[in-house]
Amino acid sequence: MYAIKQLSVFIENKAGELSDFTHVLSKNDISIKSILLADSTDFGLVRTIVDNPDKAKAILEDAGFSVRFTDVFGVKIEDVIGSFDKVVTALSKSNINIQYTYSFYESDTGIFIFNVEKDKFSEAVKALVDSNLEIISASHFYR
Amino acid sequence: MTFSKNESFSKDELEAWQLNHLKETLIRVYHLVPFYKKKFEEIGIKPEDIKSLKDISKLPFTKKSDLRNNYPFGMFSVEMDQIVRIHSSSGTTGKPTVVGYTEHDMDIWAEVMGRVFTMGGLTCKDILHNATGYGLFTGGLGFHGAAERMKIAVIPSSTGFTSRQLLLLKDFGATAITGTPSFALHLAEKAKAEGYDIKKDFSLRVGFFGAEPSSDGLKDEIANIWGIDYHEVYGLSEIIGPGVASSCKHSHLLHLNEDHFYPEIIDPKTQEVLEDGQRGELVITTLTKQGLPIIRYRTGDITSITRVPCRCGRTLCRIESIVGRSDDMLVINGVNVFPSQIEHVLAKIDNITLNYQIIAKKKGHLDKLEIDVELSENCMSDDVGDLTRLQKHIQDELLNALYINVNVKIVAHKSIKRSEGKATRVIDKRV
Repeated sequence: MYAIKQLSVFIENKAGELSDFTHVLSKNDISIKSILLADSTDFGLVRTIVDNPDKAKAILEDAGFSVRFTDVFGVKIEDVIGSFDKVVTALSKSNINIQYTYSFYESDTGIFIFNVEKDKFSEAVKALVDSNLEIISASHFYR
Repeated sequence: MTFSKNESFSKDELEAWQLNHLKETLIRVYHLVPFYKKKFEEIGIKPEDIKSLKDISKLPFTKKSDLRNNYPFGMFSVEMDQIVRIHSSSGTTGKPTVVGYTEHDMDIWAEVMGRVFTMGGLTCKDILHNATGYGLFTGGLGFHGAAERMKIAVIPSSTGFTSRQLLLLKDFGATAITGTPSFALHLAEKAKAEGYDIKKDFSLRVGFFGAEPSSDGLKDEIANIWGIDYHEVYGLSEIIGPGVASSCKHSHLLHLNEDHFYPEIIDPKTQEVLEDGQRGELVITTLTKQGLPIIRYRTGDITSITRVPCRCGRTLCRIESIVGRSDDMLVINGVNVFPSQIEHVLAKIDNITLNYQIIAKKKGHLDKLEIDVELSENCMSDDVGDLTRLQKHIQDELLNALYINVNVKIVAHKSIKRSEGKATRVIDKRV
């Protein structure tokens, strides 16, 4: 229930590539909940959480994008000093490497999205639950 | 001045010599190379059936793929105790093309290269800066061996390290240089950038260039920039290496050493032999080689033959500078590359499609090869590092297999245009 299907999409570093991507989503009525871009000189990876990942994957593939699902989870944070530290500490104590993280805010809460090493997903979730942190259910994002 | 008397053979002398050596070569390959025995038997021909030079058109062709299929030494007509040198170039599906030389072959090579150097007026007083690639390629060592035998001082500078080369060119006072035409231009550009005064700082008076196509305009440009006489040298490893043909100082046409390499021009489609003056594919039969004698080798190079007498007095026929290819071979900084070789390398790599595009362009005066490779439908990873490693991996594999530096670009799935029918795999922006 905690695994959010994040879309990882390959895009080339050239004018119009990102807008091609966002255009496909908006035309098909898909809402982007959060997005992170990682890039090298020649290409980039868009990591995004949308409200309908299965449909988004299908339409993106139809449009010629290389797409994969990556399991990530979201942790609820409050806007107080030390809240992010608490999450990261819980993971590091359990020896779990964070691959990347990004955040977004809803009206009253903030959510950090995490990608951890392969095979460490459940371990990471357990470590956070044990530390009394709130993990957002994947369905929170979906329509 | 010519290097040997054969260069001014009369028509009768030449044809008698050619027929005599052709007959010897046919007996040699028929009895010593099973590949040829089988080929001759298939079409029911025996060496003694070839009674005139015209009869050569009855003989079967040899292709690059025949060398590959008989890898490594299957086409040699001597045992290894007779072989003194082996060279090789990258093959079309992973296996290299291998050529071997006996001591006699090395003499022939030195002989034809001696003719080349003599066309440029070189003597034992000269210093030759040999900026042609050394190693498995025939280029560097082909120039080197003959120059050494003529007691020319050879500097084996090979390719690359442009700044160092300029320093040596100036300080050693080389009078002659070899290399690809694009490297000659690259050197000149670098020399200007580093503040050299090309005509004052260097002592060059003659250059021998080859291994890639060059227009007359390009030749004149190089001759002017460096203040040298430009001589083009043509050759291919399957025949001997550099020294098959070269231009004297009177024109851009190349005298072909037809006393050792019998030339024909054919229509690459119908395989019909064409008349002098007509353009077609150059086919060569070696007349004097022992290690790897070769019958009617399809060079893939498009040119024409002329027998108009040359003012230099040499009577050997002349060919035009190569005007194109009958296949899709690319020449990248003097290295020959077939798209099929690239495809063969890509086919062994995971996470990409075989929908790729090869783009050849010029960066300054040097060739640059870029290959756009499509990522497969399932994006292989969520990690930019993995994709960068994939890119590097493809580049390394291409360098290993083909000896060329390629700039690989990973592009999005389905981003390379699919065409109806035959795909456009190669975009050559140099022409």
